Amino acid sequence: MKRTLASLLLVLVLGAVLVFGVRQITPAPEALRNHFFRRGVEQTGSVNLVSSIYLGYRAFDTLGETVVLFLAVAGVMALQAGKQ
Amino acid sequence: MKESELVDIVSRKLVPFILLFGCYLISHGHLSPGGGFQGGAVLAAGITLLCLSRGVKDTLRSFPMRRMSLSESAAFLMILVVGVIGLVLGRGFLGNFLPLGTPGEVPSAGFIFFLNLLIGLKVGTGISLVLFTLLREEE
Repeated sequence: MKRTLASLLLVLVLGAVLVFGVRQITPAPEALRNHFFRRGVEQTGSVNLVSSIYLGYRAFDTLGETVVLFLAVAGVMALQAGKQ
Repeated sequence: MKESELVDIVSRKLVPFILLFGCYLISHGHLSPGGGFQGGAVLAAGITLLCLSRGVKDTLRSFPMRRMSLSESAAFLMILVVGVIGLVLGRGFLGNFLPLGTPGEVPSAGFIFFLNLLIGLKVGTGISLVLFTLLREEE
């Protein structure tokens, strides 16, 4: 019972801190968003702005993602090869 | 591993359409929601359905392990080559060096289109390879 009360108190305090923090957040910066929105299509030629960001402006990030997948495949195949 | 006639027939009729939808997602990644990763995952889902309904051994006859792993590595190498070509032409690593074309058409957006194709191939074969390896273990 004591433990439950203590956990409940902890959750409430943490929740209050979180709500306070969220309310303090300033509005999201608009400059970059407006830049992508206005110039994205003419700079990358891609109508889908998500695509233009993740393959145009941040293609290096996507390269990292493919490396992660490559390593996952290599790891699974290496584990299976070691089992035989 | 033939347990149900229904599963067998429905999955075999469904798989070509799933693969086609994956190709559509990949090739229209710069126009509509979707792209290389999502389309590749759909391709892998089609191959997984084939694996689960027909068994890994039969699926490996249509999608040989060696060729899949070769095409995955080749796609990854091609992504790196495309990036280095941009570097050589003075646009920076993974910079767009192809003409942009008319926005809204299928071969447009310069190298985003080709990068989508390569990533789709790489993700599709990669996830299928993982599933082949894990499912073959169980048989």
